[in-house]
Amino acid sequence: MRGLLRKTLLETWVQLLLFGSALLLVAGLLTMMLPQLEEGLNQVLVTLPFVRKFIQALLGDDLGANINSQSLQAIIWVHPTILALVWAQEIVFCTRVPAGEIDRGTIDVLLSWPVSRRKLFCAESMVWLASGVWLCLILLAGHVVARQVVVSSTSHSWRSVLLVLGNLYSMYAAVGGVAFFISSLSDRRGRAMATVFGLVLASFLLNFLAQFWPSAEILAPLGVLNYYRPAQILATGSVPFADVAILWGVAVCAWVVALETFARRSICTL
Amino acid sequence: MEVISVQQLSRHYGQRRGIDAVDLSVKSGEIFGFLGPNGAGKTTTIRILLGLLKPSHGTSRIFDLDCWAQSATIKQQVGYLPGDLRLYPWFTGNNALKVVGQVRGQELQSHGRELLKRFHLDGSVPVRKMSRGMRQKLGIMLALAHKPQLVILDEPTSGLDPLMCDELYRCLRERAAEGATVFFSSHTLSEVELLCQRVAIVRSGRIVANESMEELRRQAHRAVMLRFRGDAAKSIETPDFLEIEERTGQVWRGELIGTTTQFMAWAATQPLEDLAVSPPSLESLFRRYYEREEELA
Repeated sequence: MRGLLRKTLLETWVQLLLFGSALLLVAGLLTMMLPQLEEGLNQVLVTLPFVRKFIQALLGDDLGANINSQSLQAIIWVHPTILALVWAQEIVFCTRVPAGEIDRGTIDVLLSWPVSRRKLFCAESMVWLASGVWLCLILLAGHVVARQVVVSSTSHSWRSVLLVLGNLYSMYAAVGGVAFFISSLSDRRGRAMATVFGLVLASFLLNFLAQFWPSAEILAPLGVLNYYRPAQILATGSVPFADVAILWGVAVCAWVVALETFARRSICTL
Repeated sequence: MEVISVQQLSRHYGQRRGIDAVDLSVKSGEIFGFLGPNGAGKTTTIRILLGLLKPSHGTSRIFDLDCWAQSATIKQQVGYLPGDLRLYPWFTGNNALKVVGQVRGQELQSHGRELLKRFHLDGSVPVRKMSRGMRQKLGIMLALAHKPQLVILDEPTSGLDPLMCDELYRCLRERAAEGATVFFSSHTLSEVELLCQRVAIVRSGRIVANESMEELRRQAHRAVMLRFRGDAAKSIETPDFLEIEERTGQVWRGELIGTTTQFMAWAATQPLEDLAVSPPSLESLFRRYYEREEELA
Protein backbone atom coordinates (compact mmCIF):
# COMPACT_ATOMS: atom_id res chain seq x y z
CA MET A 1 0.00 0.00 0.00
CA ARG A 2 2.86 2.42 0.77
CA GLY A 3 4.17 2.16 -2.76
CA LEU A 4 0.78 2.90 -4.25
CA LEU A 5 0.27 5.87 -1.94
CA ARG A 6 3.70 7.15 -2.88
CA LYS A 7 2.91 6.81 -6.59
CA THR A 8 -0.40 8.66 -6.23
CA LEU A 9 1.19 11.44 -4.21
CA LEU A 10 4.06 11.78 -6.67
CA GLU A 11 1.53 12.22 -9.45
CA THR A 12 -0.80 14.62 -7.67
CA TRP A 13 1.24 16.83 -5.35
CA VAL A 14 1.65 19.60 -7.92
CA GLN A 15 -2.08 19.61 -8.61
CA LEU A 16 -2.87 19.69 -4.89
CA LEU A 17 -0.42 22.51 -4.33
CA LEU A 18 -1.81 24.59 -7.20
CA PHE A 19 -5.46 24.14 -6.27
CA GLY A 20 -4.58 24.69 -2.61
CA SER A 21 -2.80 27.96 -3.41
CA ALA A 22 -5.72 29.16 -5.53
CA LEU A 23 -8.21 28.35 -2.77
CA LEU A 24 -6.06 30.09 -0.17
CA LEU A 25 -5.97 33.20 -2.31
CA VAL A 26 -9.66 33.22 -3.19
CA ALA A 27 -10.82 32.49 0.37
CA GLY A 28 -8.56 35.28 1.64
CA LEU A 29 -9.79 37.79 -0.95
CA LEU A 30 -13.43 36.97 -0.35
CA THR A 31 -12.99 37.32 3.41
CA MET A 32 -11.30 40.70 2.92
CA MET A 33 -13.99 41.94 0.55
CA LEU A 34 -16.95 41.00 2.75
CA PRO A 35 -16.79 44.00 5.15
CA GLN A 36 -17.15 46.35 2.15
CA LEU A 37 -20.26 44.45 1.10
CA GLU A 38 -21.62 44.53 4.65
CA GLU A 39 -21.27 48.33 4.86
CA GLY A 40 -23.39 49.12 1.82
CA LEU A 41 -25.74 46.16 2.13
CA ASN A 42 -28.78 47.86 3.69
CA GLN A 43 -28.67 50.72 1.26
CA VAL A 44 -28.34 48.35 -1.68
CA LEU A 45 -31.23 46.16 -0.52
CA VAL A 46 -33.52 49.20 -0.22
CA THR A 47 -32.62 50.76 -3.55
CA LEU A 48 -32.23 47.51 -5.52
CA PRO A 49 -34.68 44.95 -4.07
CA PHE A 50 -33.82 42.28 -6.68
CA VAL A 51 -30.35 42.02 -5.12
CA ARG A 52 -31.95 40.24 -2.14
CA LYS A 53 -33.25 37.55 -4.51
CA PHE A 54 -29.91 37.33 -6.21
CA ILE A 55 -28.03 36.85 -2.96
CA GLN A 56 -30.55 34.23 -1.87
CA ALA A 57 -30.04 32.41 -5.15
CA LEU A 58 -26.29 32.50 -4.67
CA LEU A 59 -26.60 31.21 -1.12
CA GLY A 60 -29.10 28.59 -2.23
CA ASP A 61 -31.39 29.46 0.64
CA ASP A 62 -34.58 31.39 1.04
CA LEU A 63 -33.64 33.49 4.02
CA GLY A 64 -36.69 35.75 3.77
CA ALA A 65 -35.86 39.02 5.42
CA ASN A 66 -32.92 37.52 7.29
CA ILE A 67 -30.18 38.62 4.93
CA ASN A 68 -27.73 40.18 7.32
CA SER A 69 -24.01 40.46 7.67
CA GLN A 70 -23.90 37.07 9.45
CA SER A 71 -25.59 35.20 6.63
CA LEU A 72 -23.49 37.10 4.09
CA GLN A 73 -20.45 35.32 5.56
CA ALA A 74 -21.76 32.25 3.75
CA ILE A 75 -20.86 33.82 0.42
CA ILE A 76 -17.25 32.81 1.08
CA TRP A 77 -18.25 29.15 1.23
CA VAL A 78 -20.68 29.07 -1.68
CA HIS A 79 -18.89 31.44 -4.01
CA PRO A 80 -18.77 29.93 -7.52
CA THR A 81 -14.98 30.34 -7.64
CA ILE A 82 -14.54 28.30 -4.45
CA LEU A 83 -16.95 25.61 -5.63
CA ALA A 84 -15.37 25.55 -9.09
CA LEU A 85 -11.88 25.08 -7.63
CA VAL A 86 -12.93 22.36 -5.19
CA TRP A 87 -14.90 20.50 -7.84
CA ALA A 88 -12.25 20.91 -10.51
CA GLN A 89 -9.63 19.46 -8.17
CA GLU A 90 -11.66 16.42 -7.34
CA ILE A 91 -12.97 15.83 -10.85
CA VAL A 92 -9.36 15.78 -12.05
CA PHE A 93 -8.34 13.55 -9.14
CA CYS A 94 -11.22 11.07 -9.10
CA THR A 95 -11.10 10.33 -12.83
CA ARG A 96 -7.42 9.25 -12.67
CA VAL A 97 -8.24 5.60 -11.90
CA PRO A 98 -9.34 3.78 -13.90
CA ALA A 99 -10.42 6.16 -16.71
CA GLY A 100 -7.20 8.21 -16.74
CA GLU A 101 -4.94 5.15 -16.54
CA ILE A 102 -6.81 3.40 -19.35
CA ASP A 103 -6.86 6.53 -21.45
CA ARG A 104 -3.09 7.04 -21.30
CA GLY A 105 -2.40 3.30 -21.52
CA THR A 106 -0.49 3.03 -18.22
CA ILE A 107 -3.09 0.68 -16.73
CA ASP A 108 -1.22 -2.29 -18.27
CA VAL A 109 1.87 -1.52 -16.23
CA LEU A 110 -0.13 -0.59 -13.14
CA LEU A 111 -2.12 -3.83 -13.18
CA SER A 112 0.98 -5.91 -13.79
CA TRP A 113 2.00 -5.16 -10.20
CA PRO A 114 0.95 -7.64 -7.52
CA VAL A 115 -1.87 -5.61 -6.04
CA SER A 116 -5.57 -6.27 -6.32
CA ARG A 117 -7.72 -3.72 -8.07
CA ARG A 118 -9.60 -3.15 -4.83
CA LYS A 119 -6.40 -2.31 -2.99
CA LEU A 120 -5.35 0.01 -5.78
CA PHE A 121 -8.71 1.78 -5.67
CA CYS A 122 -8.54 2.09 -1.88
CA ALA A 123 -5.06 3.64 -2.05
CA GLU A 124 -6.30 6.17 -4.60
CA SER A 125 -9.35 6.92 -2.46
CA MET A 126 -7.26 7.44 0.66
CA VAL A 127 -5.27 10.16 -1.05
CA TRP A 128 -8.51 11.66 -2.40
CA LEU A 129 -10.03 11.84 1.10
CA ALA A 130 -6.81 13.27 2.53
CA SER A 131 -6.67 15.86 -0.24
CA GLY A 132 -10.21 16.92 0.69
CA VAL A 133 -9.05 17.56 4.24
CA TRP A 134 -6.12 19.51 2.86
CA LEU A 135 -8.37 21.72 0.71
CA CYS A 136 -10.73 22.40 3.63
CA LEU A 137 -7.82 23.32 5.88
CA ILE A 138 -6.40 25.60 3.20
CA LEU A 139 -9.77 27.33 2.85
CA LEU A 140 -9.91 27.76 6.60
CA ALA A 141 -6.36 29.08 6.65
CA GLY A 142 -7.16 31.64 3.94
CA HIS A 143 -10.21 32.77 5.87
CA VAL A 144 -8.39 32.98 9.21
CA VAL A 145 -5.41 34.87 7.85
CA ALA A 146 -7.61 37.37 6.00
CA ARG A 147 -9.70 37.98 9.12
CA GLN A 148 -6.59 39.06 10.96
CA VAL A 149 -6.03 41.72 8.31
CA VAL A 150 -9.51 43.22 7.93
CA VAL A 151 -11.77 44.83 10.50
CA SER A 152 -15.27 43.40 10.54
CA SER A 153 -18.23 44.30 12.77
CA THR A 154 -19.61 40.75 12.39
CA SER A 155 -19.15 38.41 15.29
CA HIS A 156 -17.44 35.19 14.31
CA SER A 157 -18.32 31.70 15.48
CA TRP A 158 -15.49 29.22 14.85
CA ARG A 159 -17.85 26.39 15.63
CA SER A 160 -20.13 27.46 12.75
CA VAL A 161 -17.18 27.80 10.38
CA LEU A 162 -16.03 24.29 11.24
CA LEU A 163 -19.56 22.99 10.70
CA VAL A 164 -19.64 24.63 7.27
CA LEU A 165 -16.32 22.99 6.45
CA GLY A 166 -17.71 19.65 7.60
CA ASN A 167 -20.68 20.17 5.28
CA LEU A 168 -18.32 21.18 2.46
CA TYR A 169 -16.23 18.05 3.04
CA SER A 170 -19.37 15.90 2.92
CA MET A 171 -20.26 17.48 -0.41
CA TYR A 172 -16.69 16.88 -1.59
CA ALA A 173 -17.13 13.20 -0.68
CA ALA A 174 -20.44 12.92 -2.56
CA VAL A 175 -19.14 14.55 -5.73
CA GLY A 176 -15.92 12.49 -5.56
CA GLY A 177 -17.85 9.24 -5.06
CA VAL A 178 -19.95 9.96 -8.14
CA ALA A 179 -16.82 10.96 -10.09
CA PHE A 180 -15.16 7.65 -9.14
CA PHE A 181 -18.29 5.80 -10.23
CA ILE A 182 -18.35 7.48 -13.65
CA SER A 183 -14.60 6.96 -14.00
CA SER A 184 -15.01 3.24 -13.24
CA LEU A 185 -17.35 2.91 -16.22
CA SER A 186 -15.20 4.92 -18.63
CA ASP A 187 -12.22 4.31 -20.87
CA ARG A 188 -11.81 7.99 -21.71
CA ARG A 189 -10.87 10.43 -19.00
CA GLY A 190 -12.09 13.47 -20.90
CA ARG A 191 -15.53 11.95 -21.26
CA ALA A 192 -15.65 11.03 -17.57
CA MET A 193 -14.56 14.53 -16.54
CA ALA A 194 -17.11 16.16 -18.84
CA THR A 195 -19.91 13.98 -17.43
CA VAL A 196 -19.11 14.81 -13.81
CA PHE A 197 -18.64 18.48 -14.66
CA GLY A 198 -22.04 18.44 -16.39
CA LEU A 199 -23.61 16.95 -13.27
CA VAL A 200 -22.18 19.49 -10.83
CA LEU A 201 -22.97 22.34 -13.19
CA ALA A 202 -26.57 21.12 -13.46
CA SER A 203 -26.69 20.90 -9.68
CA PHE A 204 -25.42 24.46 -9.35
CA LEU A 205 -27.92 25.82 -11.87
CA LEU A 206 -30.76 23.87 -10.29
CA ASN A 207 -29.94 25.30 -6.90
CA PHE A 208 -29.76 28.79 -8.39
CA LEU A 209 -32.99 28.49 -10.39
CA ALA A 210 -34.94 26.98 -7.51
CA GLN A 211 -34.85 30.40 -5.82
CA PHE A 212 -36.55 32.09 -8.78
CA TRP A 213 -38.64 29.38 -10.37
CA PRO A 214 -41.01 27.29 -8.24
CA SER A 215 -41.09 24.41 -10.76
CA ALA A 216 -37.35 23.89 -10.31
CA GLU A 217 -37.87 23.59 -6.58
CA ILE A 218 -39.32 20.09 -7.03
CA LEU A 219 -36.09 18.97 -8.68
CA ALA A 220 -33.79 20.73 -6.23
CA PRO A 221 -33.31 17.64 -3.97
CA LEU A 222 -31.60 15.94 -6.93
CA GLY A 223 -28.75 18.43 -6.81
CA VAL A 224 -25.82 18.06 -4.46
CA LEU A 225 -25.98 21.72 -3.42
CA ASN A 226 -29.41 21.16 -1.91
CA TYR A 227 -27.56 19.49 0.96
CA TYR A 228 -24.86 22.09 1.33
CA ARG A 229 -26.24 24.93 3.48
CA PRO A 230 -23.56 27.25 4.85
CA ALA A 231 -26.01 30.16 5.15
CA GLN A 232 -28.31 28.18 7.44
CA ILE A 233 -25.43 26.83 9.50
CA LEU A 234 -23.98 30.31 10.00
CA ALA A 235 -27.39 31.79 10.75
CA THR A 236 -28.57 29.15 13.22
CA GLY A 237 -25.42 27.33 14.29
CA SER A 238 -27.26 24.01 13.98
CA VAL A 239 -25.58 20.83 12.81
CA PRO A 240 -27.04 19.72 9.42
CA PHE A 241 -27.24 16.02 10.35
CA ALA A 242 -29.74 15.08 7.63
CA ASP A 243 -27.83 16.85 4.85
CA VAL A 244 -24.52 15.35 5.91
CA ALA A 245 -26.07 11.88 6.17
CA ILE A 246 -27.52 12.15 2.65
CA LEU A 247 -24.22 13.39 1.20
CA TRP A 248 -22.25 10.60 2.86
CA GLY A 249 -24.89 8.09 1.82
CA VAL A 250 -24.44 9.13 -1.81
CA ALA A 251 -20.65 9.14 -1.40
CA VAL A 252 -20.44 5.66 0.12
CA CYS A 253 -22.95 4.07 -2.29
CA ALA A 254 -21.29 5.58 -5.37
CA TRP A 255 -17.82 4.67 -4.13
CA VAL A 256 -18.73 1.04 -3.36
CA VAL A 257 -20.39 0.61 -6.76
CA ALA A 258 -17.31 2.20 -8.38
CA LEU A 259 -14.99 -0.15 -6.47
CA GLU A 260 -16.92 -3.25 -7.53
CA THR A 261 -17.29 -2.06 -11.12
CA PHE A 262 -13.55 -1.50 -11.39
CA ALA A 263 -12.74 -4.82 -9.71
CA ARG A 264 -15.00 -6.80 -12.04
CA ARG A 265 -14.65 -5.13 -15.41
CA SER A 266 -12.44 -6.22 -18.27
CA ILE A 267 -9.87 -3.63 -19.13
CA CYS A 268 -8.98 -3.10 -22.73
CA THR A 269 -6.56 -0.51 -24.02
CA LEU A 270 -6.37 -1.93 -27.53
CA MET B 1 5.27 -28.87 -13.97
CA GLU B 2 2.93 -26.66 -15.98
CA VAL B 3 3.38 -22.96 -15.35
CA ILE B 4 0.73 -21.79 -17.81
CA SER B 5 -2.30 -23.87 -18.54
CA VAL B 6 -4.99 -22.57 -20.86
CA GLN B 7 -8.00 -24.63 -21.91
CA GLN B 8 -10.64 -23.77 -24.48
CA LEU B 9 -10.06 -20.09 -23.84
CA SER B 10 -12.28 -17.71 -25.80
CA ARG B 11 -12.77 -14.00 -25.66
CA HIS B 12 -15.15 -11.99 -27.80
CA TYR B 13 -15.34 -8.22 -28.14
CA GLY B 14 -19.05 -7.88 -28.88
CA GLN B 15 -19.52 -9.48 -32.31
CA ARG B 16 -15.79 -9.50 -32.99
CA ARG B 17 -13.77 -12.57 -32.11
CA GLY B 18 -10.60 -12.02 -30.08
CA ILE B 19 -9.53 -15.62 -29.50
CA ASP B 20 -11.42 -18.85 -29.92
CA ALA B 21 -10.96 -22.14 -28.04
CA VAL B 22 -7.25 -21.63 -27.37
CA ASP B 23 -5.40 -24.48 -25.64
CA LEU B 24 -1.88 -23.88 -24.38
CA SER B 25 0.45 -25.46 -21.93
CA VAL B 26 3.83 -24.03 -20.98
CA LYS B 27 6.18 -25.99 -18.77
CA SER B 28 8.51 -24.70 -16.11
CA GLY B 29 11.88 -23.50 -17.40
CA GLU B 30 10.68 -23.34 -21.00
CA ILE B 31 11.19 -20.44 -23.38
CA PHE B 32 7.92 -20.48 -25.22
CA GLY B 33 7.30 -18.54 -28.40
CA PHE B 34 3.85 -17.24 -29.16
CA LEU B 35 3.86 -16.38 -32.81
CA GLY B 36 1.30 -14.77 -35.02
CA PRO B 37 0.62 -11.80 -37.28
CA ASN B 38 -0.80 -8.54 -35.99
CA GLY B 39 -4.36 -8.92 -34.75
CA ALA B 40 -4.10 -12.72 -34.45
CA GLY B 41 -5.03 -12.76 -30.76
CA LYS B 42 -1.61 -12.84 -29.05
CA THR B 43 -2.21 -9.75 -26.93
CA THR B 44 -5.74 -10.82 -26.03
CA THR B 45 -4.39 -14.14 -24.72
CA ILE B 46 -1.70 -12.35 -22.73
CA ARG B 47 -4.19 -9.87 -21.28
CA ILE B 48 -6.35 -12.74 -20.08
CA LEU B 49 -3.28 -14.36 -18.50
CA LEU B 50 -2.53 -11.07 -16.73
CA GLY B 51 -6.10 -10.76 -15.42
CA LEU B 52 -6.84 -7.62 -17.41
CA LEU B 53 -9.55 -9.29 -19.46
CA LYS B 54 -12.13 -11.76 -18.28
CA PRO B 55 -12.48 -14.71 -20.67
CA SER B 56 -15.84 -15.34 -22.34
CA HIS B 57 -15.27 -19.10 -22.03
CA GLY B 58 -12.60 -21.49 -20.85
CA THR B 59 -10.01 -21.48 -18.11
CA SER B 60 -6.58 -19.94 -17.76
CA ARG B 61 -4.25 -20.79 -14.91
CA ILE B 62 -0.74 -19.71 -13.95
CA PHE B 63 1.13 -21.59 -11.19
CA ASP B 64 -2.17 -23.51 -10.87
CA LEU B 65 -3.97 -20.32 -9.79
CA ASP B 66 -6.90 -18.81 -11.63
CA CYS B 67 -5.74 -15.88 -13.76
CA TRP B 68 -8.83 -13.77 -13.07
CA ALA B 69 -9.67 -14.54 -9.45
CA GLN B 70 -6.12 -14.83 -8.10
CA SER B 71 -4.43 -12.35 -10.35
CA ALA B 72 -2.71 -10.31 -7.63
CA THR B 73 -1.09 -13.42 -6.10
CA ILE B 74 0.07 -14.64 -9.50
CA LYS B 75 1.70 -11.31 -10.32
CA GLN B 76 4.10 -11.58 -7.39
CA GLN B 77 6.01 -14.05 -9.55
CA VAL B 78 5.30 -12.55 -12.97
CA GLY B 79 7.22 -9.95 -14.93
CA TYR B 80 5.26 -8.42 -17.78
CA LEU B 81 6.13 -6.17 -20.67
CA PRO B 82 3.08 -4.92 -22.59
CA GLY B 83 3.14 -4.77 -26.38
CA ASP B 84 2.14 -1.14 -26.50
CA LEU B 85 4.21 0.02 -23.55
CA ARG B 86 3.13 3.28 -21.88
CA LEU B 87 4.99 4.38 -18.79
CA TYR B 88 4.37 7.22 -16.38
CA PRO B 89 6.04 10.36 -17.75
CA TRP B 90 7.67 11.09 -14.38
CA PHE B 91 9.24 7.62 -14.14
CA THR B 92 13.02 7.44 -14.24
CA GLY B 93 14.96 4.22 -13.94
CA ASN B 94 15.88 5.11 -10.37
CA ASN B 95 12.52 6.22 -8.99
CA ALA B 96 10.68 3.47 -10.87
CA LEU B 97 12.81 0.92 -9.02
CA LYS B 98 11.94 2.59 -5.70
CA VAL B 99 8.18 2.84 -6.37
CA VAL B 100 7.79 -0.61 -7.93
CA GLY B 101 10.03 -2.10 -5.23
CA GLN B 102 7.75 -0.63 -2.55
CA VAL B 103 4.64 -1.90 -4.32
CA ARG B 104 6.15 -5.37 -4.68
CA GLY B 105 7.60 -5.31 -1.19
CA GLN B 106 10.96 -6.31 -2.63
CA GLU B 107 14.39 -4.79 -2.89
CA LEU B 108 14.86 -4.18 -6.62
CA GLN B 109 17.77 -1.77 -6.53
CA SER B 110 20.72 -4.13 -6.94
CA HIS B 111 19.40 -6.26 -9.81
CA GLY B 112 17.59 -3.29 -11.33
CA ARG B 113 20.76 -1.22 -11.50
CA GLU B 114 22.62 -4.13 -13.03
CA LEU B 115 19.94 -4.33 -15.73
CA LEU B 116 20.12 -0.57 -16.31
CA LYS B 117 23.84 -0.98 -16.90
CA ARG B 118 23.39 -3.96 -19.22
CA PHE B 119 20.86 -2.06 -21.33
CA HIS B 120 22.91 1.16 -21.28
CA LEU B 121 20.08 3.13 -19.72
CA ASP B 122 20.62 6.29 -17.69
CA GLY B 123 18.60 5.89 -14.49
CA SER B 124 18.06 9.61 -14.05
CA VAL B 125 16.32 10.41 -17.36
CA PRO B 126 12.53 10.76 -17.06
CA VAL B 127 10.29 8.86 -19.45
CA ARG B 128 9.00 12.07 -21.05
CA LYS B 129 12.53 12.71 -22.35
CA MET B 130 13.17 9.14 -23.51
CA SER B 131 13.15 7.77 -27.03
CA ARG B 132 10.93 4.79 -27.81
CA GLY B 133 13.85 2.40 -27.52
CA MET B 134 14.83 3.79 -24.10
CA ARG B 135 11.26 3.40 -22.84
CA GLN B 136 11.25 -0.17 -24.08
CA LYS B 137 14.50 -0.86 -22.19
CA LEU B 138 13.01 0.64 -19.02
CA GLY B 139 9.95 -1.57 -19.47
CA ILE B 140 12.17 -4.64 -19.85
CA MET B 141 14.15 -3.66 -16.77
CA LEU B 142 10.95 -3.34 -14.73
CA ALA B 143 9.69 -6.69 -15.99
CA LEU B 144 12.92 -8.45 -14.97
CA ALA B 145 14.14 -6.54 -11.91
CA HIS B 146 12.32 -8.73 -9.37
CA LYS B 147 13.67 -11.95 -10.92
CA PRO B 148 10.22 -13.33 -11.71
CA GLN B 149 9.47 -17.04 -12.10
CA LEU B 150 7.42 -16.27 -15.21
CA VAL B 151 8.31 -13.57 -17.73
CA ILE B 152 5.58 -12.58 -20.18
CA LEU B 153 6.81 -10.36 -22.97
CA ASP B 154 4.57 -9.01 -25.69
CA GLU B 155 6.69 -8.17 -28.74
CA PRO B 156 9.59 -7.01 -26.56
CA THR B 157 12.09 -6.24 -29.31
CA SER B 158 10.06 -3.56 -31.06
CA GLY B 159 12.07 -0.36 -30.82
CA LEU B 160 15.28 -2.11 -29.76
CA ASP B 161 18.45 -2.06 -31.82
CA PRO B 162 20.05 -5.45 -32.71
CA LEU B 163 22.65 -5.21 -29.93
CA MET B 164 19.98 -4.61 -27.30
CA CYS B 165 17.91 -7.45 -28.78
CA ASP B 166 20.90 -9.74 -28.22
CA GLU B 167 21.24 -8.47 -24.64
CA LEU B 168 17.56 -9.18 -24.05
CA TYR B 169 17.92 -12.72 -25.42
CA ARG B 170 20.91 -13.24 -23.08
CA CYS B 171 18.88 -12.01 -20.10
CA LEU B 172 16.01 -14.31 -20.96
CA ARG B 173 18.29 -17.31 -21.42
CA GLU B 174 19.81 -16.55 -18.01
CA ARG B 175 16.37 -16.40 -16.41
CA ALA B 176 15.44 -19.69 -18.04
CA ALA B 177 18.71 -21.25 -16.85
CA GLU B 178 17.74 -20.23 -13.32
CA GLY B 179 14.46 -22.12 -13.72
CA ALA B 180 12.16 -19.29 -14.79
CA THR B 181 9.69 -19.67 -17.64
CA VAL B 182 9.56 -17.23 -20.52
CA PHE B 183 6.46 -16.59 -22.60
CA PHE B 184 7.60 -14.62 -25.60
CA SER B 185 5.11 -13.17 -28.03
CA SER B 186 6.29 -12.00 -31.42
CA HIS B 187 5.36 -11.68 -35.06
CA THR B 188 8.96 -12.14 -36.17
CA LEU B 189 9.86 -15.74 -36.75
CA SER B 190 13.62 -15.24 -36.74
CA GLU B 191 13.78 -14.10 -33.12
CA VAL B 192 11.48 -16.86 -31.93
CA GLU B 193 13.63 -19.34 -33.84
CA LEU B 194 16.72 -17.96 -32.17
CA LEU B 195 15.35 -18.03 -28.65
CA CYS B 196 12.48 -20.43 -28.13
CA GLN B 197 12.32 -24.15 -27.49
CA ARG B 198 8.66 -24.45 -28.33
CA VAL B 199 6.31 -22.38 -30.41
CA ALA B 200 2.58 -21.92 -30.74
CA ILE B 201 1.34 -20.22 -33.87
CA VAL B 202 -1.87 -18.28 -33.56
CA ARG B 203 -3.94 -17.15 -36.47
CA SER B 204 -7.35 -15.43 -36.43
CA GLY B 205 -7.73 -16.19 -32.74
CA ARG B 206 -6.97 -19.90 -33.08
CA ILE B 207 -3.89 -21.98 -32.39
CA VAL B 208 -2.84 -23.50 -35.72
CA ALA B 209 0.36 -25.14 -34.50
CA ASN B 210 1.91 -25.93 -31.17
CA GLU B 211 5.21 -27.72 -31.65
CA SER B 212 8.78 -27.88 -30.47
CA MET B 213 11.29 -26.02 -32.62
CA GLU B 214 12.83 -29.39 -33.51
CA GLU B 215 9.53 -30.61 -34.88
CA LEU B 216 8.92 -27.38 -36.80
CA ARG B 217 12.38 -27.56 -38.36
CA ARG B 218 11.66 -31.14 -39.37
CA GLN B 219 8.45 -30.04 -41.05
CA ALA B 220 10.10 -27.10 -42.77
CA HIS B 221 10.91 -27.48 -46.46
CA ARG B 222 14.04 -26.57 -48.36
CA ALA B 223 13.83 -23.92 -51.05
CA VAL B 224 15.07 -25.16 -54.43
CA MET B 225 16.31 -23.36 -57.55
CA LEU B 226 16.89 -25.30 -60.76
CA ARG B 227 18.44 -23.93 -63.98
CA PHE B 228 17.98 -26.19 -67.03
CA ARG B 229 20.08 -26.35 -70.15
CA GLY B 230 18.53 -24.93 -73.34
CA ASP B 231 14.77 -25.40 -73.66
CA ALA B 232 14.67 -28.55 -71.53
CA ALA B 233 12.63 -26.83 -68.79
CA LYS B 234 9.58 -26.72 -71.07
CA SER B 235 9.36 -30.45 -71.63
CA ILE B 236 10.19 -31.74 -68.13
CA GLU B 237 7.38 -32.97 -65.91
CA THR B 238 7.36 -31.80 -62.29
CA PRO B 239 7.98 -34.66 -59.86
CA ASP B 240 5.66 -35.20 -56.85
CA PHE B 241 8.30 -34.22 -54.31
CA LEU B 242 8.80 -30.76 -55.80
CA GLU B 243 6.35 -27.89 -55.47
CA ILE B 244 7.27 -25.35 -58.12
CA GLU B 245 6.05 -21.84 -57.41
CA GLU B 246 7.75 -19.96 -60.25
CA ARG B 247 8.88 -20.92 -63.77
CA THR B 248 10.82 -18.25 -65.66
CA GLY B 249 12.43 -19.48 -68.88
CA GLN B 250 15.12 -21.96 -67.88
CA VAL B 251 14.68 -21.40 -64.13
CA TRP B 252 12.35 -23.14 -61.68
CA ARG B 253 11.92 -21.98 -58.10
CA GLY B 254 9.99 -23.89 -55.48
CA GLU B 255 10.13 -26.13 -52.42
CA LEU B 256 11.32 -29.63 -51.81
CA ILE B 257 8.45 -31.42 -50.12
CA GLY B 258 9.94 -34.90 -50.44
CA THR B 259 13.24 -36.34 -49.17
CA THR B 260 16.67 -35.10 -50.19
CA THR B 261 17.57 -38.58 -51.49
CA GLN B 262 14.60 -38.58 -53.86
CA PHE B 263 15.56 -35.15 -55.13
CA MET B 264 19.25 -36.02 -55.65
CA ALA B 265 18.37 -39.17 -57.56
CA TRP B 266 16.00 -37.25 -59.84
CA ALA B 267 18.37 -34.28 -60.33
CA ALA B 268 21.20 -36.60 -61.47
CA THR B 269 19.12 -37.61 -64.51
CA GLN B 270 18.06 -34.09 -65.54
CA PRO B 271 19.72 -31.70 -68.05
CA LEU B 272 20.65 -29.23 -65.32
CA GLU B 273 23.07 -26.36 -65.67
CA ASP B 274 22.92 -25.28 -62.03
CA LEU B 275 20.97 -25.96 -58.85
CA ALA B 276 20.74 -24.47 -55.36
CA VAL B 277 19.14 -25.95 -52.25
CA SER B 278 18.78 -23.80 -49.13
CA PRO B 279 18.51 -25.01 -45.51
CA PRO B 280 14.99 -25.78 -44.22
CA SER B 281 13.04 -22.53 -44.07
CA LEU B 282 10.81 -21.96 -41.10
CA GLU B 283 9.66 -18.76 -42.75
CA SER B 284 7.98 -20.70 -45.53
CA LEU B 285 6.45 -23.11 -43.03
CA PHE B 286 5.16 -20.17 -41.06
CA ARG B 287 3.63 -18.65 -44.18
CA ARG B 288 2.11 -21.97 -45.12
CA TYR B 289 0.31 -22.18 -41.77
CA TYR B 290 -1.18 -18.78 -42.41
CA GLU B 291 -2.15 -19.52 -45.97
CA ARG B 292 -3.74 -22.79 -44.93
CA GLU B 293 -5.85 -20.92 -42.43
CA GLU B 294 -6.81 -18.33 -45.00
CA GLU B 295 -7.91 -21.10 -47.37
CA LEU B 296 -9.93 -22.69 -44.57
CA ALA B 297 -11.49 -19.34 -43.78
